[in-house]
Amino acid sequence: MRRYLAGRLLQAVSVILLVTTLTFVLVHLAPGDPFGEAFGRPNVPASVRAQWRADFGLDKPLPVQYVRWLANAARGELGFSFSHRRPVRAVLAEALPRTALLAGLSLLASFSLGIVVGVLQAERLGGARDRWLGRVLLFTYSLPDFWLALVVLILFAYRIPIFPVGGIVDPVLYDYLSPGARIADRLRHLVLPVVTLTLLSTAAIARYQRNALLEVLPSDWMRSAIAKGLDWRTAVRRHALRNALLPTITLAGLYLATLAAGAVFVEKVFSWPGMGLVTVNAIAARDYPLITAAVLVMSVLVVLGALLADVAASVADPRVRVG
Amino acid sequence: MLRARPASPHRRTGRAVFLFAALALSACKGSETAGGGSSDIGGTIVFSTPSDAQTMLPPLIVNVIDRTVTDLLYDRLADISDDMNTTGDKTFKPQLAERWDWSADSLSIAFHINPRAKWHDGQPVRAADVRYSVQLYKDPALGTSATPLIANIDSASVRDSLTAVVHFKRHTPTQFYDMVYQVLILPQHVLASTPVSQMKTADIGRKGIGSGRFRLAKWEPGQRIELVADTANYRGRPKLDRVIWSIAPDFNAAVTRFMSGEADVFDQLRPEQIARLAGDTARRIVRYPTFQYTYLWFNEANPAALGQPHPLLGDRAVRRALTMAVDRRAMLRNVFDTLGQMLYGPFPNTVDVADSTLAQIPYDTVKARALLDSAGWIPGTDGVRSKNGRRLEFAITTPNSSAARKQYVVLLQEAFKLVGAAVRIDEGDFATFSAKQNDHKFDAIMALYATDPDVSGFKQTWSTAGMAKDGANFGDYSNPKVDALLDSATTTFDPSRKKDYARRAFEMIIQDAAGIWLYAPPTIAGVHKRIRTAPMRADGYWAHLADWYIPAGERSARDRIGLRPTQ
Repeated sequence: MRRYLAGRLLQAVSVILLVTTLTFVLVHLAPGDPFGEAFGRPNVPASVRAQWRADFGLDKPLPVQYVRWLANAARGELGFSFSHRRPVRAVLAEALPRTALLAGLSLLASFSLGIVVGVLQAERLGGARDRWLGRVLLFTYSLPDFWLALVVLILFAYRIPIFPVGGIVDPVLYDYLSPGARIADRLRHLVLPVVTLTLLSTAAIARYQRNALLEVLPSDWMRSAIAKGLDWRTAVRRHALRNALLPTITLAGLYLATLAAGAVFVEKVFSWPGMGLVTVNAIAARDYPLITAAVLVMSVLVVLGALLADVAASVADPRVRVG
Repeated sequence: MLRARPASPHRRTGRAVFLFAALALSACKGSETAGGGSSDIGGTIVFSTPSDAQTMLPPLIVNVIDRTVTDLLYDRLADISDDMNTTGDKTFKPQLAERWDWSADSLSIAFHINPRAKWHDGQPVRAADVRYSVQLYKDPALGTSATPLIANIDSASVRDSLTAVVHFKRHTPTQFYDMVYQVLILPQHVLASTPVSQMKTADIGRKGIGSGRFRLAKWEPGQRIELVADTANYRGRPKLDRVIWSIAPDFNAAVTRFMSGEADVFDQLRPEQIARLAGDTARRIVRYPTFQYTYLWFNEANPAALGQPHPLLGDRAVRRALTMAVDRRAMLRNVFDTLGQMLYGPFPNTVDVADSTLAQIPYDTVKARALLDSAGWIPGTDGVRSKNGRRLEFAITTPNSSAARKQYVVLLQEAFKLVGAAVRIDEGDFATFSAKQNDHKFDAIMALYATDPDVSGFKQTWSTAGMAKDGANFGDYSNPKVDALLDSATTTFDPSRKKDYARRAFEMIIQDAAGIWLYAPPTIAGVHKRIRTAPMRADGYWAHLADWYIPAGERSARDRIGLRPTQ
């Protein structure tokens, strides 16, 4: 087990190093730089732009910049964000919990819903319920995320204005609300983005769960359970489901990365200043330190998610043993 | 539970509305509005904006929201008049300086600071702050984008605690403007402890302690910026209690925030949204002036070998023929319907030297073809002309973030095709677009600029000197006569002669077909009807925001929060 974990750790560090190195090089090779367009007017002298580049160390050769970044990153120093004019760590420290909250709630909702729908379909394989749920899932799965987000926004924040248009809290009232009302305000702002993300990811999870159930339903032990007098529904829910959870658990581990990566379009449409939005804006602004740091965090979470999925699978299924 | 859409966008459904009402009622008791003595005092305006600010330190601003907020937080020594006259000092209005005196040689001006002026932290504004501000702006270690605009300012000194003397290198028509418009006065006691070289990264850039009529209450990155009235301000408190910029990073989300009533103002409405407001009873549209203008800028230098003429567009006849191929009025109508404004040359229509009577290169495709024929460009089998084995084919570079410019490029491509010129559309993100522009690596570019009010801005863009590394003449246009005329325009003290010199320079640039003058972007804001706006200036519609107001009888519940501190 110890050797296995050490091997996985080495593998993880290599992956993270490779991903961040590639990111660092690619973003620096992309045309434009943080101070090329930042001033938005033509009469900013090239010397001023050059000075800004020098102030942030961008005048140094790329390998020098990389070594410097790597040394700083090893010490936990992620640099200074050009576009936010704040330390990268401060920017990520705000964005990461927001995305984790949004993605965490939607993952919880979509996995709960996805597993339930998968079971409901498997209980009536080939029946009307299975067919109709399958069609609905296919429909939601095929929806582009930005389109669905905009439709939900326009429908429930503009046409029928029962939820706020976006943001985390009410920009005018929040500071004047009581503690209880503040929580309610935060929850109201969470509803539309969480619902959108849940709708988008439930279909895949339900599909996985249904297919996993299809594989275990013909098993001998299911036949035995039915022969011993269990009704079909109980047999599916009590026995088949646990055995069919393995692929879904693996999927959950992979989805963990979205806790850090965020859902770019959903965050953008609902003005949710999380990791996805921060990263995309950083790319547009050529904010090299922020892009690289965001990718670093995301790759750590991806690797961690895969590891956790393996561990969770071994817990869920005694036949699977890590190491 | 779904409910019918409320008549007023300021009504809300759900539990929050009750909290809201209770809150507003209790707030009224403590609000300064009640005792303000004027029915115009009070209210909150929420702006919906797709971008966040980066800094609250004026010399280091980079975007419009930075400028909007810092203009409101900080004061100048004097303010430009609404007609944006930059010559002399006659039309300028006192701000931090209650008066000023010129030295006998006109190379220095003594500014007398209003003794009642205070920083938002309660400290008095002193002459030393003026000296510090000038030093900071001029410090090469700071690297302000205003560097070329304050080149004529030499230094500042302190005569006494309330008198600052600003020294200039030369006596020019715009030296007063250079100082009072470009240099916002900053608090020495707040900033001086931070080394200049660290200003870009120091937290001090987020404090926003100025002397303006609004003070910074809160800045939550990516969410909102809140300014509140400085009730003890020496220029009088603003009529509004509070101004909030609610940040929605997606353009459509920002529009929806306005349309749904969560925000009161959105300043970047597009034609399709304006149509939706036609029957709106709660909102209206307000057109505001701008110094922005858009044109197709030809690169007269070879992007592959700068210093050499462009193989196609270095030829004046080709540029003129391409200009003749474009029906600018029809394009304007096509893209903006009735909302767009024509340009008449390399200037926005709002500058004081603008002239709509200048002779234009006419739209005439027959003449365009004839001109290209006579220049030796012969149509090929595919309709594209060529000369000495080189096809009349070039790229137009445009940012993919601008819908209007993308539409225009397609229309230009079609227009040029009709006279035998092929166009490749080079579309990229804004950073890529800017890099190509700054490096002069383009054939033709869809340029959109906001110029400074003074004619000196045109000198940087159109003079031969502007072709240098630090210049802004990215199209490498060069005409010695234009150089001379722009020099004269920037040095004469006679406004009518300045206009005449500028007019003649513009006419030459037009006839040289340095670019195709396309449009002034329609700058239209959506504003809630309860809000009464003040006159809007072309350099920033927010210039008189402190005079915007909401009549007492039309205020919504959130307007009545007043200046009550947060819980």
